[in-house]
Order: sequence, then structure tokens, then C-alpha cells
Amino acid sequence: MSENQSQDALKAEINNPVEPLLPIEKKLIGWSFGTGVALLAILLLLSRFFPVT
Amino acid sequence: MTTQPLATTTRPVLNEDWLSVVLGIAIFALAIGSFLGVDLLGWSVTTSVWTDVSKALAPATKAYAALGGEGALLATFVALLVALTLGSVALGVEARKFAPAFAVVFLIAYASWILGSYANLAVVTPADQAKFGLSWSLKLTNEGGFIVALVVGLIIANFFPRFAEWLKEAIRPELYIKVAIVILGAYIAVTTAGKLTLASSLLFRGLAAIIEAYLIYWSVVYFVARKYFGFSREWAAPLASGISICGVAAAISTGGAIRARPQVAILVSSLVVIFAVVEVLILPFVAQHFLSHEPLVAAAWLGLAVKTDGAAVAAGGITESLITAKLAAEGIRYQPGWILATTATVKVFIDVFIGVWAFILAYVWTNHVNVAAGGEKAKASEIWQRFPKFILGFLATFAIGLALALSSDPPSLAKLNSAIGEANVFRVIFFILTFFSIGVLSNFRKLWEEGLGKLAAVYFVALFGFVVWVGLAISWLFFAGVKPPLAG
Repeated sequence: MSENQSQDALKAEINNPVEPLLPIEKKLIGWSFGTGVALLAILLLLSRFFPVT
Repeated sequence: MTTQPLATTTRPVLNEDWLSVVLGIAIFALAIGSFLGVDLLGWSVTTSVWTDVSKALAPATKAYAALGGEGALLATFVALLVALTLGSVALGVEARKFAPAFAVVFLIAYASWILGSYANLAVVTPADQAKFGLSWSLKLTNEGGFIVALVVGLIIANFFPRFAEWLKEAIRPELYIKVAIVILGAYIAVTTAGKLTLASSLLFRGLAAIIEAYLIYWSVVYFVARKYFGFSREWAAPLASGISICGVAAAISTGGAIRARPQVAILVSSLVVIFAVVEVLILPFVAQHFLSHEPLVAAAWLGLAVKTDGAAVAAGGITESLITAKLAAEGIRYQPGWILATTATVKVFIDVFIGVWAFILAYVWTNHVNVAAGGEKAKASEIWQRFPKFILGFLATFAIGLALALSSDPPSLAKLNSAIGEANVFRVIFFILTFFSIGVLSNFRKLWEEGLGKLAAVYFVALFGFVVWVGLAISWLFFAGVKPPLAG
């Protein structure tokens, strides 16, 4: 396949039908977001205890 | 930031990451010569704001005054040409292809920088306007030269594609910005040495950036790309990393980690660069307008919002100039370097964990998403393989610079500041090369190409609908009220 054809194939592929979210993806998204929010809250709390001097 | 792998003709001895460490530390070591009593870099060229171009250039130190501005420019050009051509050979690139391309890149980029220092573009305060006898100025500061270099690069990319193609061997924004960041480590060390408590408070707050980029941005962008834009896993993961973490390097690392085809990361990378250009042209001016009284909020925000190391750190530099100039007109003068240092620290903090994140994704993908019998599983060694090695150079110059600053009495500290100032001349030159190179890589026509519109749409929605605003909110929560030390 030439470079142009391969490039065109890639572009066409972007518009392919949706792959449903797997449970492991949902878990990854949920845990990342939840952990992120929790850690930010803890960090914000700590930064209030140790203000900039 | 390289959007496509450049052809190499001989076996590489180093990669760009390690080459940036070698070059950055070599410049730092030569600069330290001045601290020890031997001025080894004073011949490097500096540019002042000008109305008469013959007075724009000068050597960095008076010891080399005999060279004059043109002599300093020639010496700097030859030194960089030799050093980078040798470096290109170490990368496996043919010197006869690299050297002429680099010569042209340097000359155009530095000419853009000189143009950016023209008084009508650069002068900011009414006092300076009166000094130069000007009735008007665009008030871009002399760092507006970065914007000029970027715009010239964009013109070449979009209107002279054959010329851009000819320059490609020397269009290496990733290498240039990494060298600049290694040098920046020492500059940050001497800037913060006298205010370690404030610096450590900023470092602590910088941890928020890591959490935000990897855990919050990534999960939301991945979800949006998969659920609402219907991207496959192979596309969504590098796209989420490119938008959320550190741009091109993250997209490429993630692509490798999930075993995506290389072309996926390349297409995502080209979008990352184009959007970074748009951000650099807009966000520093927005920061100056709305956040000049919260300069470190602005600094952290740029580190979080602007993707790719080069664009982010250089945007921090422009923002520092713009905000400093605006505040100077109000009679407020902060010590220089703190805004740039905060942006760079936020960016480097984010970069540090790219290897760990790539390993986590590799583990999930090879064990749960694409489970192939006998297929290659993720290995812990990938963390080190994907670790951005230039950070080691940054840490080395920071640690040495800090140790020297803390052990120096006031006269020695003045000499150290002057020595780091010489290294800083090269940091600025590498920034200029980065800006020009980013411009040359940004062919906006790609956005209109069939198929890429959807990729650009998710990038646009995620970046300007989520990443920029959440970055601003978190930066405000952690950095509001924290100010750089006052000068004097």
C-alpha cells in the first residue's frame, strides 16, 4: 500500500462505527477520575494547612 | 514535537533526549567557567530593543566587546552550527543535509528575533517610549520576537511547503526545547535560591498539575473521544494523552504503550502542534489581560493548558515579559524568572510521570483490552524506556546551580548570576529555534483535509471546552494569592 493510500485509509478509519466501551475502560475512566478528584481535594486541604510563607 | 520520523542514514549513537542533555550540560559547564574566573561564553550574541539596527546586537559580556555585535552573531552562529551538526551526526543524520538547513533555520529565526526587538514592536513603558522618541508601540516586549519567529515559520509551512521540506532536517523543536529546559534548570536554581520556602511551596502546589493532567484530563478526554465522538480505542488513547499530558511526547508514548500503529501517533502529533500554535498566539495575551495581578496563577495555567513542552515553556517566557511590563507601568516590580520557573516546573512535573502512565496503559491494554495468546505483555522496564531523559539534565543543572548559589557569599553569588546569565543567552536562542520550528511544522491545511476534521473537533472541544477552563480553575485554587518576591 502506498503512503497516500495508507494515509487515506487511516483518515477513513477515524469515521468507523463506534466500538462500545469495555468494562475495563469504564473502570479505568472511573478510577482515574475519582482518584484524581480525591487527591486534588487532599492536596488542596494540605495546601491550606501549609500556607505559602 | 516532530510530526514524522526523520530519515537517518547512519546508526544513531544518541537519541534527541540524550543529545539535549549533552548539549545543555555542556553550555552550563562553559557558563560556569565565568563563575570560576574564565569567561568562556561571553562572545555569545544578545539583542537589545532598537531603532537603529546597527546598535541592536552586542556580545554577552564586555570582555568580548572587541567582537562587536556582528562578530558576536557570527561566533554564536558558527558555535551552534558546529555543535548541532556534530549532534546531528550522533543522531544518525547526514551532516551535509543538516548543516545547510540549520544555517538557514538559525539565520531566519534569529532575524525574526532581531525584528521582534524593533522598538515599535517591543517597547512597553511610556518612559521607554519617550526614550526612543516613539509615538506608538505594539508593546509586545522584546520576547515578542518569539511570536515573530513563530509567524515566519507558519508562513513558510503554509505558503512555501517545498522550502519547509528542505529545512526539515533542522526542524527539531523537541531537541531545541529540551536543551533550553536543561539550561533553564540552573536559571531556576539561582532565581529561587534566596527564597527556598516560597520555591518549595510552589513545588508542592505543582503536584496538583500531575494529578490534574493524568487522572482528570485524561479520563474525561478519553471518555468524550470514545463515547461522544466514536473514536476507536487505538485513536482515543493517544489523543487523550496528547490533549491532556504533554502533547507530542505523550501521544507517541501512549501509542507505543497500547501498541497502536505509528501513523496514529503521527497524525495526533500534527494536531497537537497546530493547536499549541493557536494557544501560544492567544493565551499569553489573555493571561496578561486577566491575570496580571495573579502572575503565578497565569504561569501554572499555561503549564497546564498549553500542550507540548516547547510551546508551554516558551509561552511562560512570553507571559512573564507581558505581565512584568504591564505591572511595571503600575509601579509593581517582581523579581524576574518566577513566572517562567513556575510554568517550566509544572510542565516538567507532568513530564516526569509519562513513563509510569504509559506502563499503566500498556498493562491494561495487554492484559485486558487486546489480550493476544502469546502476545507481548507490558514490562516494568518500559517506565525507564519512556522516561524523558532530558529531565535528568534539568535536575543536574538545577542541583549544581542550587548548591553553588547556597554556598556562595554575595560577591560570588553576583558572579554566579552573571555566569548563568551567559547560559541563559543560549536558552533564549534555543527558545527562538523552537518557536520557528513549531511554526514550520504547522501546516494548517491538514485541518481541512478529509477525515482530520473529526480529530480536530474532539481536540478543539476538549481543549477549549474543558482543559483550558479546568486548568484555570485548579491553578486559581492552588496559586491564587501566591506572588513572586518583589525586586530590589
